[in-house]
Amino acid sequence: MHIPDSFMPLSQALVYWAIALPFIFMSFRWARRDMDDMKIPILAALSAGIFAIQALNIPIGMGTSGHMVGAALVAIIFGSPFAGVLVLTLVLLVQGIVFADGGITVMGANILNMGVISGFIGYYSFVALRSRKIDIKIAAFFGAWLGLFVSAIATAVEMSIAGTFPLVPGLVAMGTFHFVIGIIGEGLITAIAIAAIAKARPDLVDSKITEGSKEATL
Amino acid sequence: MTSQNMKLLYAGIAIALLISVLAPFLASPDPDGLESAAESVIDEERFAELEEAEPAIESPMPDYSIEGQGKLGEIVAISAGTIAILLISFGLGKVLKANKAN
Repeated sequence: MHIPDSFMPLSQALVYWAIALPFIFMSFRWARRDMDDMKIPILAALSAGIFAIQALNIPIGMGTSGHMVGAALVAIIFGSPFAGVLVLTLVLLVQGIVFADGGITVMGANILNMGVISGFIGYYSFVALRSRKIDIKIAAFFGAWLGLFVSAIATAVEMSIAGTFPLVPGLVAMGTFHFVIGIIGEGLITAIAIAAIAKARPDLVDSKITEGSKEATL
Repeated sequence: MTSQNMKLLYAGIAIALLISVLAPFLASPDPDGLESAAESVIDEERFAELEEAEPAIESPMPDYSIEGQGKLGEIVAISAGTIAILLISFGLGKVLKANKAN
């Protein structure tokens, strides 16, 4: 879903930077408040894992492929959507500068779509489902899927404003492809990862979420 | 607790590097969702124009590869990126945490 430079006029790219920057700033503030020697290694391992898994495109049929985004997974583990924003900002920065995956001028839009939108939608859908006592795997699957799907829809709208995609065909194409990418690439992998982590280290998946109770931890 | 988290870090690094080494062989060569969408909704001439446009800055390892180095180059590129992200996120975590103490 990485937008390249040529897909968006510079003026619009700057607008998305302006929207993304406060979220990036708040993600740094989250880290300042929340990071400690226990959590830093987990943040680093997750960031590295997400960079690697983003290089692994999964075929989804229709001649298309997709990869995991991972913002929802990170947000769920740390109990904050800003954790997802932070990790995706770092990953997108390295991808854009070193590997030409996603443009530099449009990086604000990419951070907004993949970090902010997929992280916030993914995390709060997960929380809403958990508060209704929905199984953690199902909540993680659906939250992550919805986060990816909505960010694809947002990308289609941005592409339409940019004059690159016509609105309705753009929405249909992006929606169709990412409906499927979200199931396999995002939902399934997130659910498996959350289930594995919740089993091995229940302390890591914020217990106020896993238990669906009001008790805060850590 | 801290040593347990270090174990998790090592496990995470091992998984990330394993994916980095396997990705060049397993990753689908099909275009991603956005590119496929572009291909299907933009007319051919304009699509070719957009595809050929140079990025705003030149990247040292475009498309997760090293020119002329084939699959090995891809393994090196992705692994280098994985390690870079690991160091950057670890370092940033340390720096932000250190700020908290002040």
